[in-house]
Formats: sequence, structure tokens, C-alpha cells
Amino acid sequence: MMTSSRRSFLKAFLAGAGFSTMAGAPLFRAVAAEPAKSDEFFLLIHALGGWDVTLSLDPRWEEKGLIDPASTLNTTFGTIRKWQNDAAKLSDGGYSFQVIRPNGTPFTFGPAIGNLTDHASRICVVNGLATNTVSHPDGQTFAVTGRHLNGGRPNQSSIDVCCANEFGTEQLLPVVSVQYPSYLLGAQMDARARPLRIATIGTMAQSLARATLYDTQAERNAVNAVLTEEANDLAAISNDPSALQGFGSQYGALQNLLTNTNLQNVFSESALVAAHPELNISTLRYQRAAAVNAAFALEAFRNNLARCVSFIFNGFDTHAGNYTNQAATQQETFDTLAVLLAQLDQIPHPTRTGHKLSEHTHILVTSDFCRTPQINLQRGRDHYPNGSALIISPKFKGKTLYGKTDPLQLLPANAGTFLDGPRPVAPPDLLATFVSAFGVDPQKYFREGEVIKELLA
Amino acid sequence: MNLSRVLLGISIVALLAGCSKSASEPESQPAPLPPGHGVAQDTTPKEGPRLITAESYIRTYLTLFGGLSPMQAQLEARGSDGSKLFDTWRDYLGTMGMPDYRYDTPRVSQTNTLMVATFERAGVALCDRALEHDRAVKPRLIYDFDMPAKLDAAAFAPRFDVVHRTFLNYPAQLAPTDRTNRFWKLYQDTAAAHAKVTGSRFSPAEAGWAAVCYGLIRHPEFHLY
Repeated sequence: MMTSSRRSFLKAFLAGAGFSTMAGAPLFRAVAAEPAKSDEFFLLIHALGGWDVTLSLDPRWEEKGLIDPASTLNTTFGTIRKWQNDAAKLSDGGYSFQVIRPNGTPFTFGPAIGNLTDHASRICVVNGLATNTVSHPDGQTFAVTGRHLNGGRPNQSSIDVCCANEFGTEQLLPVVSVQYPSYLLGAQMDARARPLRIATIGTMAQSLARATLYDTQAERNAVNAVLTEEANDLAAISNDPSALQGFGSQYGALQNLLTNTNLQNVFSESALVAAHPELNISTLRYQRAAAVNAAFALEAFRNNLARCVSFIFNGFDTHAGNYTNQAATQQETFDTLAVLLAQLDQIPHPTRTGHKLSEHTHILVTSDFCRTPQINLQRGRDHYPNGSALIISPKFKGKTLYGKTDPLQLLPANAGTFLDGPRPVAPPDLLATFVSAFGVDPQKYFREGEVIKELLA
Repeated sequence: MNLSRVLLGISIVALLAGCSKSASEPESQPAPLPPGHGVAQDTTPKEGPRLITAESYIRTYLTLFGGLSPMQAQLEARGSDGSKLFDTWRDYLGTMGMPDYRYDTPRVSQTNTLMVATFERAGVALCDRALEHDRAVKPRLIYDFDMPAKLDAAAFAPRFDVVHRTFLNYPAQLAPTDRTNRFWKLYQDTAAAHAKVTGSRFSPAEAGWAAVCYGLIRHPEFHLY
């Protein structure tokens, strides 16, 4: 377990006066010793590629309408622990699965839900999301920003950045985004909430590694000190000193970043794997990278390093051989989420004495869209304009199922009556509801979307 | 030259001739500026210095260090001696701000300290490898001078001017800061500290010049335009 303290992180960054962009717009605010204005943490997760909800969150096990359910003849089900054959025989001669109905909940899950059933009492499921697109970039953007792409470009900030803008600007790392579709857009946004977008957690460790055969850290520190003086002197005679002042800050921040070995451990994949054996990262086949990201989130929150962490689970775009790995990919995803929740229950909150992280961590899981009810000629499923999402947060009601799909077509059905009349729930509603749970006016960030009060605790 | 191009050329010449002012046309004078407006053009600075793109840095690095291709530079910087000076360009794509198609990550539009850290790592690797090259092979790439163990300020200045012109493109004497003296102190302090280091591949003087190189390749004037 990593034990670096918040104080050590603050100390590491203090002299550098924080991170700011070279071009003048600060990415990280000048580091303050004062606590962040919020004690909440946000974990935004996207299942990239469009998951097949018929195996988990919105299961289909009967042949109805367009539905071709998973069966023992078209699915690799041996590794799916919760797969139990259904009694009725399908027309292909195989058997579908028995659904899982956790006691005391309204949920009906497919077998790929894995160990997440252990946490059914705390989750909120939204089915029948009107994604209104079958394009990956558009689906990803719509899911996390609430707006479709406009000319190939996003129009609104993503949910992780909105949370960082609202609650994380005082944080050392407002938002660390590992392949999540993160965007900062709009004049109302604080530049400090700009996401630190990286491909993998390990890339940070490689950038922070230094050789020892030629020079020493003390010598490099001396260079940084000279560069800080140069930047400050140049700023003093510059018409626009902001960029040069930013340089001065960054040289100092870098010096302290490189001398803090604890901090480097948080970004080291090997250290994260070692620190979290319960995630069984080395045994995972499909979601190893995501599990490392989950371990990073745990350490980043434990050390009060990041306000928001956003990352992806990958591998859901199964146009061919859907049932070779879709179910197993989902099972690993939900198993990892289950371990993550169990860990959040164990880890103390860094600033609230007596509280656990799970009491102040808010998780939103989305996907691009879902997959067709029919199985195509390549034994896969293609894109389909329907979606599901998960919310796990003390600000939201557990054991809650909202929205539904047409049982014959798996298309979004009316979820309720909104201001514009009866209609299915859509991603903007979900995002508006998510931020509203923290007292934020959704219209500050989202042009559309209506708060669904039934979901709020 | 084909006929259509000839005809096009003739047409353009004719058109230009038609547009030329006739000798009899009266000269028109521009209207005077309104009171209080001394100049017609606003020359006040509108934008501060900007960071050049990551590709430009890398291209500049490669040119300075011998006109290498990216793969050659990677091989040279990484070496086979287990020094861990460098990884691969791929490892740094995202942190240098470039798009990384392996992970479908877009260009990073703004910089951060992680990017500065990556440029330090790349700059240190190239400075160290260049020093190893220059002490063994001529023509020298970066340190185009001898490196005596004993050096005074007067002997330091012309040598510093060589590397200053290489990285920042103008004489050190014209620097708007007290740069030569500042780097002279850096050289002295580094060389003195390095004399106590055991197991280094650099002599104290070489470590001093390497530190000067690190400082110039990461200088704000190198990064901004």
C-alpha cells in the first residue's frame, strides 16, 4: 500500500508554485496549502466501443421481435461465472442464460454483470438511453458532453472537466484523463480544469525517470534554478510576462516533482500493480490497462492528489465474434468495478477523519451506445442507438432502475414525462442530473438536459 | 509549354496592362488622419510569446545534434549501455503533446509540467550523448571547443558564446539578462559538485558543460517564439 501523505505532495509542489501552461493559461493553479474547496472525488469511466447490454444491464434471453439472445451455441460462456442455462430451448437448439435478480432490487441482470451484483444495493442503472447515433466519436462525445459533434468537433466540456471546473481547481491535479474523451470548452471554464490527457499511467513514470550515470539530481536542480531566474528576469522586461512566469513556475514544480519518489510511485504501473493485488491485474485478459487506471484512481484519491480521474474500459466494439469475448470483457469490467468499490469502502478519506472514500466518491459509467439485438453474419453485433449507464454515488439512490427499452427491438422507450413531454431519457439528462446532485446548475455546463429527481438521494 | 498556358500568360499580361494607371489620371491624396490619431497602424503587441509545436522541437533537436532521423536519434540517445538515458519517441508522444494513434489520443493543445519533464528528459539525453560524441569525434556537434579542467571566466565566455549561438541563435553578449555570468556560476558549481561524485561517466568539466547544454536547450527563449 502506498503511504505518501498529502503533506508530502503539497510540499513537493509548493516551491514550484504549481503547474501552469507555458502559453500563459495555467493548467494547474499555483499550489496553495489550503485544502480544496470540495472533499468529493469523481471517477468517470467510459466503456469504449459500445457495450452489449443484452448480456448485463438490459438482458435479453428470449427470442422476441428482433432479439437474437446469447445462447450456448453462439457464446463462449465457459468463463462466465454467473452463466446458468435457461430452461427453455432456443430455436437454434441452444439455451440462453438465466437472468440474475438481486434480492430487494428492481434489477434484472445478465450473467456478464459479474461481481457487481454484490454491490447491487448501491447502484443506479439507467437503461434505454437515447444515444441517437451509431458513430463512435459522436457516441462518445454525446455520452460525456451531452452534445453531438458539430462538424467533427465537440461543443461542450466533458463531464470530468465540468466536475474539475466546479470542485477541482484548487486541487494539485484537477483531472487526470487516461484516454477518456475529455474536453475543456467554453468561456465559463477555468483553465486550471484543463484535463491532463495521457495514454497510459505508465507514460508519466517514463517522463519522470532520470539516468544517474552522467549527472545528479542536484546538478539538474541547479539548472532548474538558473532557468527559473532567467524566466523571471525575462518576464520582468516582457510586455506579456504570463508565459515566462509560467515557465518560472514550471521549472520549480518540475524540480520538486522529480525529487518526490512517492509521487512517482503513484504513476508507476509496477508500483500500482504491487500495491493492489486485490485487482488481480496480472491475471486479467481484457481489462488490464483499465485495472491499472483503477489502481491509480484509488491512490490518487487516497493521497488527495487528483479531484477527478477519468479512464476507459476498452474492447467492446465486437462486430465479429461478439460472443467470443464480449461477455468476458464485460465480466472483467464489472469485476474490476466491484473491487474498486470494495477498496473505496476500505480506504480512509484523506481529509475527513472517520470517513471512507466511498462516502465521497462519485462514479459514472457510460458507453458510446449499445449493440444490435440481431446477430450479424460474422457472429457479431453492430452499433445500435440505445444505451445504458451506471451511477454509483452516495448522492444517488441505490437499487434504482430508470428508463427502459422496447422488449421487441431494444430501442429506447419513453422513460417518463419531461418538460417537453413523454420521451426516453437521453445522455444530457443523465449529465445534468449528475452535476445537479452536487448543487451545480446544469445549465452552466449543458445546453440541454433535465434533472431526473427520482435518481437523487 | 502547352498552348493553354501560353494563352493564360498572355491574358494575365493583358489584364495587368488594363489595370495600370493612365498618365493623365489625377493623383489622389489620402485623407488626413483624424485628430489624435498619430499613426494609422496599431503596433501595440496583441499576443504574448507562444510555444512552438512539439514537432518543431524534435526537428530542432535532430538538426542540432547532427541532422539525425528520429529513429537514429532514438538509437543514439538510448544507446546499448543500459544508461536509461532515453526510452523511445513513442513513449513520449502524448507527454510531448503530440497525437498518439496507438491510443487514439489527440494533440494536446496546452502544455503542462509533465511536458516540461519530458523535454528535460529528451534534452538531457541528447546533451549527454552529444558530449560523448564530441570528445571522441570531429567535427564536433555542440561543444565545438576544448574542455580544459581549469577554466576562468574569461576563457568560459567565448566557449559559452558558441553554445549560446547554437541553441538561441544570437551572441550571448546581447542577452537581456546577465546570462554569461549566471551560466558561468552554474558551470563552476556543477564542476565543483561533480568532483565529489563517484562512478560518473563525465569529468567535472564535462559535467559543467553538460549542465550548460541542459540549461540552453530548455531555456524559455528556446521554447518560445
